[in-house]
Amino acid sequence: MATDLRISNISKIYPGCIANDNVSLQFKSGKIYALLGENGAGKSTLVKILSGVVSPDNGEVFLNEKNLKLSSPLDAKKNKIGMVFQHFNLFETLSVFENLSIDATEDNESLRVRVNEILKKYNFSIDLDVPVLNLSAGQKQKVEIIRCLLRSPKVLIMDEPTSVLTEQETEELFISLKKFCDEGILIIYITHKLKEVLSLCDEVAVMRKGKVVSVSQTQNERVETLANKMVGQKLAKIKKKINISKNKDEIFKVKHLNFYSDDPFETNLVNLNFSVKKGECLGIAGISGNGQNELFQILSGEIITPDTSIIFRNKEIAKLNPKQRREYLMAFSPEDRISQAAVPELKIYENVALNNFKSSNFFEKGLVNEKKIKEHSKKILSDFSVNTDNVELKSQFLSGGNLQKLILGRELITAPELLICYNPTWGLDVGAINYIHETLIKINDQEKSTILISTDTEELLKLSDRIAVIYKGKLSKIMPSEEVTPEKLGLLMGGGSID
Amino acid sequence: MSLDISFIGILIGSIMASSVPLILAASGELITERSGVLNLGVEGMMIIGAISGFALMVITDNLFIAIVGSMLSGVIISLIFGFLTQSLLTNHVATGLALTIFGIGLSAMLGKNFVGIPGKEFPILFSSLKESIPFFGPILFGHSIVLYFAFALPFLTNYFLKKTKLGLIVRAVGDSPVSASNQGINVILVRYCCILYGGAMCGLAGAYLSLIYTPQWIENMTAGRGWIALALVVFATWSPIKVLIGALIFGGITILQLHMQAIGFRIPVQFLSALPYLMTIIVLVVISRDSRKIKLNTPTSLGRIFYKEK
Repeated sequence: MATDLRISNISKIYPGCIANDNVSLQFKSGKIYALLGENGAGKSTLVKILSGVVSPDNGEVFLNEKNLKLSSPLDAKKNKIGMVFQHFNLFETLSVFENLSIDATEDNESLRVRVNEILKKYNFSIDLDVPVLNLSAGQKQKVEIIRCLLRSPKVLIMDEPTSVLTEQETEELFISLKKFCDEGILIIYITHKLKEVLSLCDEVAVMRKGKVVSVSQTQNERVETLANKMVGQKLAKIKKKINISKNKDEIFKVKHLNFYSDDPFETNLVNLNFSVKKGECLGIAGISGNGQNELFQILSGEIITPDTSIIFRNKEIAKLNPKQRREYLMAFSPEDRISQAAVPELKIYENVALNNFKSSNFFEKGLVNEKKIKEHSKKILSDFSVNTDNVELKSQFLSGGNLQKLILGRELITAPELLICYNPTWGLDVGAINYIHETLIKINDQEKSTILISTDTEELLKLSDRIAVIYKGKLSKIMPSEEVTPEKLGLLMGGGSID
Repeated sequence: MSLDISFIGILIGSIMASSVPLILAASGELITERSGVLNLGVEGMMIIGAISGFALMVITDNLFIAIVGSMLSGVIISLIFGFLTQSLLTNHVATGLALTIFGIGLSAMLGKNFVGIPGKEFPILFSSLKESIPFFGPILFGHSIVLYFAFALPFLTNYFLKKTKLGLIVRAVGDSPVSASNQGINVILVRYCCILYGGAMCGLAGAYLSLIYTPQWIENMTAGRGWIALALVVFATWSPIKVLIGALIFGGITILQLHMQAIGFRIPVQFLSALPYLMTIIVLVVISRDSRKIKLNTPTSLGRIFYKEK
């Protein structure tokens, strides 16, 4: 039976922010719909309303012309609306099967039979009796999907499902989604990734600042047109000029970097040697989990490895901790913004103060010089166009893009000679990515160096002067980026070899 | 040495009796904590249970009413905690501490007229078997019904948490209240129930002290047992069976060191008195050092305030 979902004049106002402003949309089964928008455009609020987690101030939802009262998640479930949240709604310490059985109405034996049928039908391979915390992000998502499928949904809503997936997992997800669609499930796909919209979806609704600004067929759209609709202005194309000067000084030199760990979740690093020149960006590509985490931690001084030599500005720094390395004008931007780079419960200015230097005088005679830190923080917020000027705001309320800008600002305000960043644009929307890329290029223009560890090949090709690939803890030959093509990178990242 | 064998039997029996209040209170608190609520008011709820049980016994002369009443009083006082932390979203730690202080004060006030009144003998089961079988008799028989219940409780709790749907829901709520709420589980209701259950068990633990173990009312008679129960839950890494082991070790060494003091061992008394605490912690740390299991048993949301998005 065909499904018809209609949202009519939905509004939701939070203090200080209109999350949804009179949103009306219509969806029909047999198609995959994209809901596109930047972070904070109101997509998540809309899907929370559809799944009954929050109730709208105004407006109605109709499923097959029946007016739905969605005042709790149970109502959405009863009405066969399934939802896979961006932040998984799983119980980490419970087993996969326990997670699935918690809201099941049948007994465990028949549930197990049904789950196994689904596993087989869609080619999912998941051990049902391991705790969820042992699963990869892609597997966790499959558990969420199975949970929805068990209730034979009419509507399946996916909230930014690929933000935690590898490319392989993304492809698998797309195949499954297309299968669901063929089986008559109406799919609403929420994302800020333009390419996914074009490759997966049939119709796209773009949201900006709580409003629907456009609804169109994806075949009539291109990446540029969608990006402009989403951001609301023309995006400048950025392209880096390649640094021609090859005879510059080497500012950073790593020799014999070895790392061995007993932990099966860590990757061993085998004899890494590389150097970075003044004003250069060295890109390190690779599929995540090939040693990037360990490499970043060793470069930042979180892990000290014996027998490694790291020369920075003609000094040996291999035995120094992160704070000491910062004093020598290195700066770091880790992958995990929330737990590694910033403390979410602390206010903005307190997070800024975490990165204190002797020279910054944030602390005097053991006391916090709040005024000075706040002034300094205000400067960062305005210099790096963070979307707030309230330094008292807790960092957890910043969107990913704004938090990344704050972190980069904190790191760069001391004018470091070398910035090491790891997936700096992970999970950000186009506008924020553009801003971060411009900032990174600006650093190189000022004759400062960067090491960019990233899993995004497009970003690497755009920003790096030279690129190396890390695979299973080993580093490939370092290549000038003009000699590198996406195909070449892909080959090396998958463990192949060129020449 | 036939005398020693029967003496050891009696000794073990008395160790079991002394660990009952710990097992009861810790098993109750374990359920509360598994749902993500940290109630530091165990000591307060126990002492309220002790005085109300004793007072009801004196007033009604009915032990059944006394026992049920003590559990109800535990429920009522934990309801205060539940209302404050779950409905008014106060901090769990501060509220729990306040509950303990309140309980100790209130019990002293209520108990003023009950000091010095002799208790009533609590019926024991299978008393004939106790005498007739050497060694095993005093271990297995001649105890109150509450003791048998207490020793069954950790196994029941384990079964409840691992095998039943409700137990699964309690664990889910403790793991991630937000996810549970998004799955349509009424998190606040589940937590209220767990808090009230914990209160009832703490009330019963208190009543065991004032009605069975030392049948009389003495001010502050729980003497820190509530805190030990709390510590047991944590050191047993939220596993009911380990709570039982920990409670037995604590009770055992408490009794043994008293005997050692009486015999006159040349070990400083202070060290002997500290021994139960020390040994319980050491043993529990040793038996629960599997970090993976700890992670799986620890209620992730413990002590965190949950509120529903509107």
